Amino acid sequence: MWEPINKDLLGGAQETRKSLTYWQDVWRRLRQNIMAMTGLIMIITIALLAVFGPMFSGFTYSEQNTALANIAPNIELTSIGDGDYVFVHNDYKLINATSEGELLGAPEIIEDNKTAKFILYNINGKEVKFDYSIAQKARTKGSKVTETNSDMKTKYDIYVDGQLIDKYDVQSIWNKTYLLGTDNLGRDVWTRVLYGARISLTVGLVASVVNLFIGVLYGGIAGYEGGKVDNIMMRIVDIINSVPLLLIVILLMVVIEPGLQTIILTIGLVYWVGMARLVRGQVLSLKEQEFVLAARALGVSKAKIVIKHLIPNAIGPIVVSMMMSIPSAIFTEAFLSFIGLGVSAPEASWGTLANDALGGIRSYPYQLIVPSVAIALTMFAFNFLGDGLRDALDPRLRK
Amino acid sequence: MSNLLEVQDLKKYFTKTSGLLKKTEQHVKAVDNVSFTVAHGETLGLVGESGCGKSTTGRTILKLYQPTSGKIVFDGVDITNFTEKQMLPYRKKMQMIFQDPYASLNGRMTISDIIGEAIDTHKVATSAKDRDDMIANLLERVGLMKDHASRYPHEFSGGQRQRIGIARALAVNPEFIICDEPISALDVSIQAQVVNMLEEIQRKTGVGYLFIAHDLSMVKHISNRIGVMYLGQLVEIGDRDKVYSNPEHPYTKALLSAIPIPDPQSEKSKSRIVLQGDVPSPLNPPSGCHFRTRCQYCMKICKEVEPVLQTLEDNHQVACHLFS
Repeated sequence: MWEPINKDLLGGAQETRKSLTYWQDVWRRLRQNIMAMTGLIMIITIALLAVFGPMFSGFTYSEQNTALANIAPNIELTSIGDGDYVFVHNDYKLINATSEGELLGAPEIIEDNKTAKFILYNINGKEVKFDYSIAQKARTKGSKVTETNSDMKTKYDIYVDGQLIDKYDVQSIWNKTYLLGTDNLGRDVWTRVLYGARISLTVGLVASVVNLFIGVLYGGIAGYEGGKVDNIMMRIVDIINSVPLLLIVILLMVVIEPGLQTIILTIGLVYWVGMARLVRGQVLSLKEQEFVLAARALGVSKAKIVIKHLIPNAIGPIVVSMMMSIPSAIFTEAFLSFIGLGVSAPEASWGTLANDALGGIRSYPYQLIVPSVAIALTMFAFNFLGDGLRDALDPRLRK
Repeated sequence: MSNLLEVQDLKKYFTKTSGLLKKTEQHVKAVDNVSFTVAHGETLGLVGESGCGKSTTGRTILKLYQPTSGKIVFDGVDITNFTEKQMLPYRKKMQMIFQDPYASLNGRMTISDIIGEAIDTHKVATSAKDRDDMIANLLERVGLMKDHASRYPHEFSGGQRQRIGIARALAVNPEFIICDEPISALDVSIQAQVVNMLEEIQRKTGVGYLFIAHDLSMVKHISNRIGVMYLGQLVEIGDRDKVYSNPEHPYTKALLSAIPIPDPQSEKSKSRIVLQGDVPSPLNPPSGCHFRTRCQYCMKICKEVEPVLQTLEDNHQVACHLFS
């Protein structure tokens, strides 16, 4: 029948599973969230591109080439024989290119006749006549440029050594010299977007660091001390919060010259407020918990209680709020730059890029699309990661 | 036996402000004129219904709340107005075991960090190895395994967590431990284990306990003396057997009549005193004797004069006009 088992037979069969730390647990849950991981990978890619991208782009953010201004990322090449290609620019000029899509620059001009409306080029010994007088003829007096005749091809003819060539025989090819085209001063948009990413990520980083240090400590102290200290500290927060961001920026610009420092200073001054409120709320509810009383009964100092007990227990909301504050800081920077309160030329930020592109929005929409997509993607990435972190850090799932 | 702890006329009022500009002030008299002593190696049980100020008394003694008035004398030293810095050496001598084993451990710290915090704060350990040994030793003393040290609180059951809380309190070798309902969150079989463990620790180290509970039979089991509280006041205090076999205060009588007797015959024949009404609000307690609104012996004097503790016979004290 039943006999008690000999204990020696059991041996030292003790469960010694290494317990997962809090962060291992969070990481395990985060990895399962596809959206959050996509966001994380996007952020890492953007960060790497921002840091190392400009080294490999071959241009600097301020290098101008007005001859090659306003060239789209996708260009149409017209063959002029002997393996020579030209790209017809919207500004009624020809640009020499290779069949691969590399731009060789503006060809030598023999004659530029503005009355008869033609330009005579010398391309590798061939005399190329770019005649845009029909653009005038096609328009009857008083008529407006409409959709139907806005096609560039209806506005010019090309003669090679006197011979009219088929202007409709074009091949569409990606711009190999300027991946994302050039802006109105002939600067590489790709390089400038990468530089914009640097500025945006710097602003985001500063916002999160300021959030973390000032916001968390301020909120932690206000919440733990309570009473009068709390009251005074939170009223200061209310005052800061009630002054519009735009006003602070404009006022600061009286003192400091506009630029990245101003934006960072502004965001540093303003962005910790939300975090301070959040942490205060968390600390208020945590400080009545028995483990805090236990620490106090042991004589643990106030600073240690805040740092070792209260903040770690509020870390979930803190991380989420930090993650969410990054895209809003990036957006604030883009917005301020867009309305002209941000970085000054020739420095590029996504906001200034968008603003610069606004003038040519009809002719060169890619100049606006590129920085807008960059802003959108970055905001998406941070928001996805923030959402994923909130789910991963949710203590309700943990219990 | 000399007194380890002496509490004299301890008061703890919580102020509630309301109205425009916080003009109106009301006081919640959580602890009102409580006096008692605890001797070395003695257990004083403190009983009373929920909200009568037992826990507040315990926390005020540890100065987790600053007392409104009164005196707390520990080991002959008046610690009532000590600053946090001056309190530090006494924090090593006085410890507390908390009620809720789930809330009393920080979920973000490992067991060795939780117990180690006590060791570090009072610099009990001489080296890192000494610290680890102490933690392992403490865990074994409370019946846990030493390799539990690297785990987190959520990996333990309620009973195990309470043992961790006890190990934390024991880490600094205190002379006096306030047990704030240490067993009320545990199920009965675990309660017995924990109580037995507490008794054994007392036998070995001679620690004094202030045992706060509302489980009357458990308090009877562990205490040398019993204090009964009602609405922030101590109504009766005396040796365990005296109080249990011969309760004098009407409230104590009612309270003790509620203990179930594990014998159907005597349970049936026992007369249960059922109190009428609810506990009055501590914001606005009745005049005179706080218990008079529910007391079946209420007299005229009870309405006018607040009764004071008076000694009946050896150490049995009762605050009731029936005995004056």
